[in-house]
Amino acid sequence: MIRQSWWKILAVVLLVYTFTAGMLVPLKPGIADVSPRALQAGTDVEMTITGYNSYYTKAKSDLRAWLKLKGDVVLKATSIEVVDDRTLKLVFKLPAYLPSDSKDDVCSLILDSPVDGAIVLPEGIALTQDSVNLAEGSKLWSVDKMDQLNAGPELTFPYRSVLYETIRNQYFHVPLWFAMLFLFIFSVGFSIRYLRKFDPDADQRALALTRAGFIFGLLGLVTGAIWAKFAWGAYWSWDVKQNMTAVALLIYAAYFILRGAFQDEEKKARLAAVYNIFAFAALIPLIFVIPRLTDSLHPGNGGNPAFGSDDLDNTMRMVFYPAGIGWTLLGFWIAAVSYRIDKLQNKLLDA
Amino acid sequence: MNLFSQIGILLRKELVLELRTGYAISGILLYVLSTVFIVYSAFFQGVNNAMMWVTLFWIIMLFASINAIVKSFVQENGNRQLYYYSLLDPLAVIISKMVYNISLLFLLSLLTWAALAFMVGNQIEEFSAFLLALFLGSVGFSILFTFVAAISSKADNNSTLLAILSFPLVIPILMTLIKLSVGATGMLEDTGVGKDIGILVAIDLVLAGLTLVLYPFLWRD
Repeated sequence: MIRQSWWKILAVVLLVYTFTAGMLVPLKPGIADVSPRALQAGTDVEMTITGYNSYYTKAKSDLRAWLKLKGDVVLKATSIEVVDDRTLKLVFKLPAYLPSDSKDDVCSLILDSPVDGAIVLPEGIALTQDSVNLAEGSKLWSVDKMDQLNAGPELTFPYRSVLYETIRNQYFHVPLWFAMLFLFIFSVGFSIRYLRKFDPDADQRALALTRAGFIFGLLGLVTGAIWAKFAWGAYWSWDVKQNMTAVALLIYAAYFILRGAFQDEEKKARLAAVYNIFAFAALIPLIFVIPRLTDSLHPGNGGNPAFGSDDLDNTMRMVFYPAGIGWTLLGFWIAAVSYRIDKLQNKLLDA
Repeated sequence: MNLFSQIGILLRKELVLELRTGYAISGILLYVLSTVFIVYSAFFQGVNNAMMWVTLFWIIMLFASINAIVKSFVQENGNRQLYYYSLLDPLAVIISKMVYNISLLFLLSLLTWAALAFMVGNQIEEFSAFLLALFLGSVGFSILFTFVAAISSKADNNSTLLAILSFPLVIPILMTLIKLSVGATGMLEDTGVGKDIGILVAIDLVLAGLTLVLYPFLWRD
């Protein structure tokens, strides 16, 4: 019993781990908002910073902040007032000139705390000056130095603008698609076996696997749509990836309709196996080729690989890979149950 | 009798049947003309941009192709198919049908182009690129529809089944074709033409290969 179903236990363990770790591990502290975002040279600015998952009251006097321009020139904040854990007031005394040969420039904000680690808000703040004086500007801005930045808390997921907490969808949406592909590949394998041996059992297995794969495909589409509501503003935005996956699901929906169109069991099994192989071949360009031809909003398109260091750091990998294995095993489990139900039904019908 | 002479005989048979009745070609031609007419009347402002022209062209072609290809399996009843299979290699049957349908669809697409150019105006500037798109499109459509028609002809309500099975499968081909054709109108400077052609050729080859491998499992009843 244990020997036979160890993989089911593994699936449960991995999915419990996925849900607990994937949902409970906090996001890395980040900077949610800064105001004002446009600064004038030669003035004193009080800047309000809204943090995310930050603990400013714990760090208090050890907090440091800089404005950073291109070429590693920095300006340190002269005073930092902690309002609460999520709010800071910084004061910058901006010199009269910028170390820049144009009237406007952009800078990033760096906040360092022993509790939260160093946080960068890249290219978020605009600087303007009335007249250009590169030599004077460089001298004024070279007083401060940025050193000894703290490392952040270890066990966190990356904080990314646009994504925020939805980065956790990586443990659900993405592995669901992987599991779907595995299920479809095995289903095609059984369809090929049916056509070679004409063994009705292989057809039943192919049917069960396709059914489980279809459910996973639907879940993948739904988790994607819920995520898209947050990240893109709408559940369905006629993005090429969404369209192609919907079409892929239509192709497989047609598989079930095709099965329903025949009375004769042998004929049904044979035509379904032929169509299943054909459909899988049509699925490949649909999911892997066409979305690469056109622009898509989807992460991984528009030049960025989805498995870049940006989207998947080591902490995320610790959850992502177990999640992939767990969901795949669950898919095969669902397929196995569905197969046994079919088998029992056929037995009852025969009796 | 080897495979090639069998294919030759079957192709001649299709042609003779066609010339004798004139049903498929004239029927489809009329279908295309009336569709162009309806579609054109439905657009009150006329079809004045290239994107619209191309989309219309391929939608008309899609439905015309389905109608043309359904006939290839429906017009032959089960008994006659049994007769073929006792005499001939199933590969000869499917290859002859595919070759016949490719030429039929290519002819049909040229006629549709002519009809659209006559009634709406021609929007195509790069003739060779568009001809290539027409050819690749005819090949893709005919392989896919021939195969799906072979599956659905085994069922009773086969025209519904044909649409359900083939529409989702045809979308990648259709999208690439539209992209390629828009490039041929000179409206967009498309840099990925070679890639699009490569994808179409690859899809066509995969579909053709699968059809040849899988059809022998389909024909017997």
